[in-house]
Amino acid sequence: MSSKSARVSARPVAFCLHALGASSVEFAHLRDALAGEIEVVAIDLPGFGDTAWVDGASVEETVEFVIRRIRAHGAARWMLVGHSMGGKIASIIAARTLSGRAPLFGLAGVVLLAASPVTPEPMAEDRRELMIGWASESHSASDGHLSDESAREFVDANIAEPLAETDMASAVSGVRRTDPLAWRAWLERGSREDWSSEVGNLAVPALIVSGAQDGDLGDPAQRRLNGATYLAAKFVTIEHAAHLLPIERPQEVAAAILTFWRDHAGTSPGVPPSTGRVIASERTSERTRGILSRRVLADDPGYQPLVLSSQQLATLRDIAERLVPQGDDAIDLAARVDQQLGRGGGDGWRNAALPADVDAYRLGLDALVGFGVDTPERQGEMIAQLIDGSFVAEGSTLNSKQLQFWFEDARVDLARQWMAHPATFSRVKYDGFGNGGDGVRKQGFTLLEAGRREAWEPSGGGTE
Amino acid sequence: MNLSGMRVFDHADEVDVIVVGSGAGGAPLTASLASAGLRVVVLEAGPNVEPGDHTPDETEAVDIIWMDERLSGGETPTAFGPNNSGRGVGGSTLHWGAFTPRPDARDMSFRRETGQGVDWPISPSELMPYVARVEQYLGVSGPSNYPWDPDRRYALPPVARNASSEMMMRGCEALGIRATDAPAAVISQDWQQEGFGLRQACVNCGACHQGCRNGAKVSMDTSYLPVALSRGAEIRADSTVHTIETDKSGAVTAVIYRRGGVDHRQRCAMLVLSAGGIETPRLLLHNALANSTGQVGRNFMAHGGVQVWGRFDQLMRSYRGYPSSIISEDMVRPPDAAFVGGYLMQSLGAMPLTFATTLIRGSSLWGPELTEALEQYPYMAGLGINAECLPSDSNRLTLSDEVDELGVPKAHIRFTAGENEKAIEAHAVTTMTNIVSAAGGSDILVLPRSAHTLGTCRLGETADVGVVDADGRSFDIPNLWICDTSVFPSSLTANPGLTMMALSLRTADAILSTTW
Ligand SMILES: Cc1cc2nc3c(=O)[nH]c(=O)nc-3n(C[C@H](O)[C@H](O)[C@H](O)COP(=O)(O)OP(=O)(O)OC[C@H]3O[C@@H](n4cnc5c(N)ncnc54)[C@H](O)[C@@H]3O)c2cc1C
Ligand code: SF4
Repeated sequence: MSSKSARVSARPVAFCLHALGASSVEFAHLRDALAGEIEVVAIDLPGFGDTAWVDGASVEETVEFVIRRIRAHGAARWMLVGHSMGGKIASIIAARTLSGRAPLFGLAGVVLLAASPVTPEPMAEDRRELMIGWASESHSASDGHLSDESAREFVDANIAEPLAETDMASAVSGVRRTDPLAWRAWLERGSREDWSSEVGNLAVPALIVSGAQDGDLGDPAQRRLNGATYLAAKFVTIEHAAHLLPIERPQEVAAAILTFWRDHAGTSPGVPPSTGRVIASERTSERTRGILSRRVLADDPGYQPLVLSSQQLATLRDIAERLVPQGDDAIDLAARVDQQLGRGGGDGWRNAALPADVDAYRLGLDALVGFGVDTPERQGEMIAQLIDGSFVAEGSTLNSKQLQFWFEDARVDLARQWMAHPATFSRVKYDGFGNGGDGVRKQGFTLLEAGRREAWEPSGGGTE
Repeated sequence: MNLSGMRVFDHADEVDVIVVGSGAGGAPLTASLASAGLRVVVLEAGPNVEPGDHTPDETEAVDIIWMDERLSGGETPTAFGPNNSGRGVGGSTLHWGAFTPRPDARDMSFRRETGQGVDWPISPSELMPYVARVEQYLGVSGPSNYPWDPDRRYALPPVARNASSEMMMRGCEALGIRATDAPAAVISQDWQQEGFGLRQACVNCGACHQGCRNGAKVSMDTSYLPVALSRGAEIRADSTVHTIETDKSGAVTAVIYRRGGVDHRQRCAMLVLSAGGIETPRLLLHNALANSTGQVGRNFMAHGGVQVWGRFDQLMRSYRGYPSSIISEDMVRPPDAAFVGGYLMQSLGAMPLTFATTLIRGSSLWGPELTEALEQYPYMAGLGINAECLPSDSNRLTLSDEVDELGVPKAHIRFTAGENEKAIEAHAVTTMTNIVSAAGGSDILVLPRSAHTLGTCRLGETADVGVVDADGRSFDIPNLWICDTSVFPSSLTANPGLTMMALSLRTADAILSTTW
């Protein structure tokens, strides 16, 4: 038996999607600031930077373009960072990843920088007209692009304080390099499109950053608009900054992203790339991919229990640690069980000697209050007694038998939450999620004998 | 399934028949009745889905399972939910294992043979032609030579064997126990299903219990229900019946069901309850119907289903392939038995969460020992049984004081395995331990469990022993019939699905030959 399960690369990838009139270049400082911790992969969107507008630059086309780029990169664990226009694109990609529609796996977080929402972007009409005008022939430079003047006016309107000379030059050049058709596509269509019904609510850990001096897309708008999309968002406002956050305040943005990764987005157990690859592949159905994509999202460190009290949740966490020990980057099994209870998701029956599931949990955990401060030996004794039905809880309405039944349910619930995680799937060499995609014919398994593996499997073809 | 173009009846219409439940009991009968020209409405509590919508993910696949809470008591409480109860257009056949041994004639005449249990009020020779009809229509895969019935023929060659199948074959051969490819209601080759279309051959995906995505496994939504629909039956999904109305004479006149939060009344000339071994008696008790002799809810039976697992040096990964592809009928009447009746053995596949659940419920593991045992999952392979369970008056379904969202009291099922069940289990554990060990397994794990929901509204010669007569018709209410596994008077060693479908066709014939 070998347990050479592939190590998950520690460094996550941040796919950075730039603003209107910018390019991957705008993330240069962020790349340096994050180096060593997070790999920044900035992408020139169609019609911007080095990416020509070949197939069109509509939101839909841009989204699919980025999805292809992420897929080609093959990152196992990644974030989306979207600045302004890029934020809307990021949200749509996040939605397609979490629903399983995109052939991707491993999304761990979304960072929005002064981001455009999935609903029509608030923008004064005269300003929109002015900007569209910059791309009209009469205004544009001899090369057909926006003039240097317009570009400067655009950058100036979006910063709080003057930029360093090189940054200013680079920001202006970003605008100048924009294909005027892409510029107009965003202003006339993309920014006005309402994608809220496709995107819905997203449970992915999210960091929503705004500049204190931004206008239409400042903190209040972020809370109202992007806050409606992201259920688990943390909001950060950066001082002395307006709209061009990655250029104006790259250090602060990098610090916020690092904290977000360490405290929240990056805290779930990593899924080995070989497993993620199968989940992303056409061997796995969209529905199953979506389920697994949502399941690997990190638990909220500030999780507020749905049905248990904070104390009961704390006790359940202490018990979970003993019953189903995990390494670092643990799954918050207790929070997941609370959620399951809150959704009414029992298992279709309960022992008749017990009260309803939620009540049994509450009473059982109340009977074990203080479990966490007991010595490991005492904890072990208590667990053994709970399992063999001899544990007596003074003052509890549950007798030993009832505690035994409840504790069996709790052991099952906690272990199932652990077992259902794709990181555990890899540990127990289960890859049945990849038993068939959405084609007319499902793939299934061809080699069924002991010790045989098929080439597509995470561990590769061969014998073991 | 595709419900487009379906004939739709009006609530004000008095339809000829309402069938409650669309599983193994409800579906074949609906197809027969609709084919005979009756106006039939099926009310199904669960949703309607397409085969391709199923997911192998165990946590989410509960959308095809009856997850409303039931209370399980007695000395050996039986597990419900994913263990034995489906929900949705197709009922439990959406997630059944499709292991289809035929009912054994000896089991149907159990009392005559052993002096214990009961006999079926139907002769095996009367039921067997229906069994054959079901097999022919659905396409059952099986061996060309069935050791316990040499004349038997199956339409299709056996489905592929997996690692646990090879293990069971190896172990049985070493001990001189006969074992062979199991009869499975899974097509091993593409099959044109009359009334439905192409069902694709099994691709060994292993996820039968989470729903077959290509129609290879028999399920009512890819077989009898499309036939019923094409003959004019209406199938209403998401419709949970809670009230049965009767007139002064006691005859059923209508049912009330909840759909989308609203109650609807559908009038009918006849009612067939096919809501399964728990929901049918629950409905009858709640409505205080068909129970003049107090028989409703009595004699609940669950097959013994103990499993024996062993650890192997090689990766078995028994989640691959059709899960139960080997059968042995050698223990239906074991020569050295200290009990009456016997059991069938089968090879097992297991999904990770099901394995974890069975392991935890059947052991006292926790902590590192538990996670280590769970990490052994891919090296484990095992066998299980389906064992005779004698009817007992004290194993009983009653209504609890708790009500569900519709105000219907939850079912409370008390089940205590008797001496005979325990003796069978002990015998089976020894036999299976020997097989697994002979096949090279170590670290033997014995995981007790029980399966299926049988009895509670049983067929009987008279009202004091049964709720319905030998045809499935209520003794008390002439226009009420029951057609689901609640009518099983004895458990049989065969798994219930095939027998249920055969019985369903027979009940339909009985209804059609009745003047009403
Ligand atoms: C996991 C599992 C594996 C199995 N494996 C096998 C096997 O390998 N071989 C075998 O022979 N048998 C197997 N079985 C058993 C077999 O599937 C059942 O015995 C058979 O389907 C029972 O048929 P039924 O009509 O009684 O009930 P079901 O098929 O369960 O159908 C009952 C239907 O009624 C509906 N219903 C219930 N209450 C209401 C209401 N109030 N209003 C409207 N609708 C309602 C339910 O939603 C359900 O769809 C298995 C079962 C399970 C669950
Ligand atoms: S193993 Fe075969 S029958 Fe079972 S779900 Fe997969 S394809 Fe269907």
